[in-house]
Amino acid sequence: MSMSIRKIILRIPVWLLLLTTSALMLFPIIIAILGSLKTNLELTTGATFLPSTWEFKNYLTAWTQADFSAFTFNSLFVSVFVTVGTLLVAAMAAYAVDRVAFKGKRIYILLQSFTLFISIGAVVLRPQFDLMVSIGLQKSLWGVIIILISAHATAFFMVIGFFRGIPKELDEAALIDGCNFYSIFWRIILPLLRPALAVVALFTFRGAWNEYILPLVFSLTRPELQTLPVGLAGLRYGAGAAVENQLMLAGACISILPLLLVYLFANRSFMQVNVGAVKG
Amino acid sequence: MHRSKLGAYLFSFPSFFLTVALGLYPIVWALRYMFFDYQGYGTPRFIGLDNFARVGRDAEFWHSVGNTFVYAGGKLIITLPLSLILAVILNRKLRGRHVFRAIFFLPTIFSASVMSIVFYIVFNSYNGVINQYLLKLGIVSAPVDWLGAGMAMLTTIIIAVWGAVGNYMLLFLAGLQSIPEDIYEAASLDGVNPAQRLWYITIPMLGPVLQMIVMLAITVSLKGYESIMVLTEGGPFGKTEVMYLYLYKLFFPLTTTGTSVQNIGYGSAVGFTTAVIVGLITWMYFWMSKKLNSIY
Repeated sequence: MSMSIRKIILRIPVWLLLLTTSALMLFPIIIAILGSLKTNLELTTGATFLPSTWEFKNYLTAWTQADFSAFTFNSLFVSVFVTVGTLLVAAMAAYAVDRVAFKGKRIYILLQSFTLFISIGAVVLRPQFDLMVSIGLQKSLWGVIIILISAHATAFFMVIGFFRGIPKELDEAALIDGCNFYSIFWRIILPLLRPALAVVALFTFRGAWNEYILPLVFSLTRPELQTLPVGLAGLRYGAGAAVENQLMLAGACISILPLLLVYLFANRSFMQVNVGAVKG
Repeated sequence: MHRSKLGAYLFSFPSFFLTVALGLYPIVWALRYMFFDYQGYGTPRFIGLDNFARVGRDAEFWHSVGNTFVYAGGKLIITLPLSLILAVILNRKLRGRHVFRAIFFLPTIFSASVMSIVFYIVFNSYNGVINQYLLKLGIVSAPVDWLGAGMAMLTTIIIAVWGAVGNYMLLFLAGLQSIPEDIYEAASLDGVNPAQRLWYITIPMLGPVLQMIVMLAITVSLKGYESIMVLTEGGPFGKTEVMYLYLYKLFFPLTTTGTSVQNIGYGSAVGFTTAVIVGLITWMYFWMSKKLNSIY
């Protein structure tokens, strides 16, 4: 009896910590969602929790008048092509490196690890941008897309980790059945990798969707290239300092809610990715 | 076999080419320009080590380095213990542990810049959400200047902790799973309390995993500047200027604070210096934790 009372008393601080931390973690997200449905006046002076009137039209205003339709389209465009490109480039390279012994393989792996660990911050943006100017891709989002695909070292190491789960005997059997290097990749490896690639795709898509600095640099002189994070942050300092807070929150929710929705169903995959990425 | 060798070269070429052109080349580019006087137009002029002499004299840069230490240190001192404790709690067979894990990890999936806009509205000094609540509840009589010169650094640290705890909790959880159950069972028979268990069993048993996680945390927090850039642009009065933000401004001057001018040669030298600082600190941590290990 006294033992179980002691146990309960010991548990109170644990639950207090868990519940307080949960509340603090959820607070800004809940504020963003509820605030996006308030009037500007209520959001900035009301001190309310739930909106007194539910202003769903804030989203319509943000979408049509604050350019969020364009930002969202740009974000989707970048994220989709970066995801497809990264998966293709990383999976092809991982297949070659894992299945074939070729000269230069070690140098290649060394190069990938090097780019993973060496970082000189914003310095690289300038030569990257200049390279895109030299082939005329700074005028569109393709420049952003190609640079983001080039940063595929993490995806490469994730995919090659999954390759270990596919026995090499499978390739050999297929080779005897008349498949070659290329058809083994398309017909056998890719279908088997599908669940793993879905996890890498989630990771890559999230990274591209959330990317701020690179699209910012590309849209400095071309506002039509702004993605969601760039367009939204622009409102913070933009010429229209009178921009209404509820529209900023509606814009933030346009970026947050799709991720939140996927997270509700696939949070295990999100977490699997993070641990896997660090374990290499 | 010959065909698959050709195939291997073909398949790894896109990856190799992209990494060399957009990963390696920019670093070589910077290593060259750090010896030049170049503002982004005209002809670059070779000036030897002058840029580095200027880095040494640049009070604003060293001020930003100091701020970086405060920012990263503050973030780590809160994040690492909190995420370790949460991981230890959620590693047990506690009811609802999967829900708590999902909640704590949630902040890490969102864009730092987008969340900084939300935090701007939450912490805004004049009509921010928190100040409205604090005033309404009578906790304060005047709005707290969260983003003012006195508080801005603390506010940015709080935001950084919010975004990081879930990530490190998850990494610690992965490490904890490698500690065998029976050690804890033996300890509980010996009457070890939870604090002792954490200090004398869990932390030493985490060993190299802990070391790796702390090292990752150090480098990541020294490099962070995105959310500060959106929230304060390094202001007010440079109070939240961290070194990677200072570096960014040398290449892409911010129009609203507009004090710095683009300077590619000098910026490359600053970039090299910041990379060396990060490398040195990582190495120092590695060296110290090794020393500590041999003492125990």
